[in-house]
Amino acid sequence: MSVILDTATAPFDRLTPDEAEMLRGAMDVAYFRPNETIIAEGGAPEGLYVIIKGAVEEREQGDLVGLLGPKDFFDSRALVQGAGVSGFVAREETLCALAPRAEVLRLINSNPRFGAFFYTDISRKLEELAQKDESSQIESMMRARVRDLYLMPAAIIDSVQPIVSAGRIMRDIDCNALLVRDGDRTGVVTGMNLAKAMVLKGMTIDEPVGNIAQYELVTIEPDEFVSQALLLMTKYNKRRLVVKEGDNFVGILEDINLLSFFAGNSQLVVGRIDRAATIAELGAAAKQIAEQVRPLRRQGVKFEVVAEIISDLNRRLFAKLFDLLCPDKLHDKCCLIVMGSEGRGEQTIRTDQDNGLILGEGVDPAVLDRFRNEFSGALAEFGFPPCPGQVMVNNPLWSRTIGEYIADFSVWTATADDQSAMNVAIFYDAEAVAGDASLLARAKKDLVEKVANERVFLGRFAKSIEAFEPPIGLFNTLKTSEGEGDALDLKKGGIFPIVHGVRSLAIEQGLEETNTFKRLAKLAELGLLKEDFARDLARALDYLMTIRLDAQINAAKSASLLKPATLTSMDRELLRDSFQVVKQLRELVRRRFNLNMF
Amino acid sequence: MALRWLSRLMDKATLSDRRYSFLFEPGPPDETVSIDCETTGLDPRRDEIISVAAIKIRGDRILASETFQSVVRPRVAIAAEAIKIHGLREVDVASARPIKEILPDLLHFIGGRPLVGYYIDFDIAMLNNHVSEMLGIQLPNPRIEVSSIYYERKYSDAPPGTQINLTFANILRDLKLPLFNQHDAFSDALMTAMIYVNLKDYVARDIRIPRPRIKPAQDYHGM
Repeated sequence: MSVILDTATAPFDRLTPDEAEMLRGAMDVAYFRPNETIIAEGGAPEGLYVIIKGAVEEREQGDLVGLLGPKDFFDSRALVQGAGVSGFVAREETLCALAPRAEVLRLINSNPRFGAFFYTDISRKLEELAQKDESSQIESMMRARVRDLYLMPAAIIDSVQPIVSAGRIMRDIDCNALLVRDGDRTGVVTGMNLAKAMVLKGMTIDEPVGNIAQYELVTIEPDEFVSQALLLMTKYNKRRLVVKEGDNFVGILEDINLLSFFAGNSQLVVGRIDRAATIAELGAAAKQIAEQVRPLRRQGVKFEVVAEIISDLNRRLFAKLFDLLCPDKLHDKCCLIVMGSEGRGEQTIRTDQDNGLILGEGVDPAVLDRFRNEFSGALAEFGFPPCPGQVMVNNPLWSRTIGEYIADFSVWTATADDQSAMNVAIFYDAEAVAGDASLLARAKKDLVEKVANERVFLGRFAKSIEAFEPPIGLFNTLKTSEGEGDALDLKKGGIFPIVHGVRSLAIEQGLEETNTFKRLAKLAELGLLKEDFARDLARALDYLMTIRLDAQINAAKSASLLKPATLTSMDRELLRDSFQVVKQLRELVRRRFNLNMF
Repeated sequence: MALRWLSRLMDKATLSDRRYSFLFEPGPPDETVSIDCETTGLDPRRDEIISVAAIKIRGDRILASETFQSVVRPRVAIAAEAIKIHGLREVDVASARPIKEILPDLLHFIGGRPLVGYYIDFDIAMLNNHVSEMLGIQLPNPRIEVSSIYYERKYSDAPPGTQINLTFANILRDLKLPLFNQHDAFSDALMTAMIYVNLKDYVARDIRIPRPRIKPAQDYHGM
């Protein structure tokens, strides 16, 4: 690695070795004192600056909009356009490598992949990152070793043993293949071989198993790469490989083991939920839902898709639990709803259970009571943490008749407090999961009509978007390159403003969609948001949710808090871009609902 | 110092090749050259240069784009210990030019500018072996020793008995500079230049380098 230019980081990793060498040869190193201006606001940059040591403040009209540290570079936009919006000032003693503008522009023109980085708008940049992420993750999986995979046991049977014994061993060890020892040679026999021998060839169960074994084994060493296993299976058209270390048989690798390593097994979970006949069986499936998230992310699946898969599984689970527990008398007289992030289909790692019931008329209170306690209890046991705000089926406030809900809506939309606004937000995100879905449809229709007529309520509702300070300022606490104790709240700073801003616009339009991505698409379709802007917002939300999810998977203490110092410079740049989009949305919502009035 | 001044006068008078009188002219104001040599060993009387890098510094800017870099074919064998340090083997230097072909270009590159280095006396002693052979003089350029500036900024007011650490890695760490590829002439010259511009600013603004009360547990990079 060179002192001046780290060619392992984007976008410099896209340069050919010759180009990188040429760029490196053209670079100087500049030293700046604290408070020294590196690029004045609106000034023409000499070139692209890459920080070697120190910290640089990015300022717009005097406001701090970002803080850059070692390996960050600036200002790509100004470089291309000849002048930038932001100014850059050294916060402490700073050394920057400086790539001359002419040289970088030459590379932008001659190397399209490098150039793309400087021209693409935020969503394209994010997409490129996602693709790179995906390919690098698949690549790293391909480089996993065979020994990392789940292997079937290598059970050995002597070739003189009868077919029936082979069948019994297979059943006992729950494995569909056995190794067959026949003197010096070793073969393999599968359950399918046994069945075919008897059904198609009319053999008896006493026939020696050696007669039907296949002796051309395709073997692989446990230290070989997974990619090699895949190659062998394809080349020899085999569904299983024998894993052999020297002369020892280690196990049998089946294609299904290989596939599940790559794909997770969400389809299997669906079947398991459907088949569950008891709460205990359903509990086992619920556990598996939680286990889907990690392999899906490892595959590089984007947040939006992970959330869709998980939400679908969760809703099947809720519906099944409802079927198992709900007495017949109640079944058609109520509607089970999920609300909040679960309703929007944006919950992946279980944070809380937001659910409720809408009741029809004539429900027996004793029957209802028993049911809702059992339901909430079972979910808690399945690992859905109780909702801190008690938005749960077992809270009488969230299991009421449709008439009571409608009466609530009038109160909520007329009361000037945060709780009312929050109740509306939670209910507006509701989706029906089981029971009589028309109950929810009727309730929502009423809610939307009430809200649409209340401009004052709408303004107060949208106002929450300003509840938290713009996050960019939080970089303030990033003091040095070591980044001590500085953290950025992704949820308050980025995710909540997008979700709630979009929700405010959606409820004003009376949209039926609950998912934020779908609401965004609809708002763009209605012409309320420019298509580019809606797309940027969707990408920014997906990006923020993805990094939060990755932090959650890595079991960070508070996954919403992110230390910018732990991110790559590419991530930091994307984060800044994402927050810029959030800022624009806040402005738009502020103007649309006249928030200055509140 | 007085002795060096005297020999400089003598050298100027006795310079055999007048084409090199520019060495005695002061260079452009505010310019210095950071220089580093890798050698066959550590004995200036016996060992020889096998690679040299020089980088111009103008004010606060390190002109890494204007550098002099060359691998040199020595007349003596490279010591095994030295190969371990800089990684240059006999085969790596076999096709290089000998120092007498390289030296003129190097001297034109540095001109009369002060030379900046880490243990600069060693590098200059190595160069002087060849300069005196070729021109009958010693290099007259003023010398700037970064470890001396560092010592002054950090230890000049230290109480007796203070542990003094002037290792390259320690200086880099105090200045929060990255350490890369040490013992590659270009990287070393570049890191030395970074140390220099940083320390020069500390001197100008009279900023001292704090001394930790506790002895640091260990270097992050062995020297």
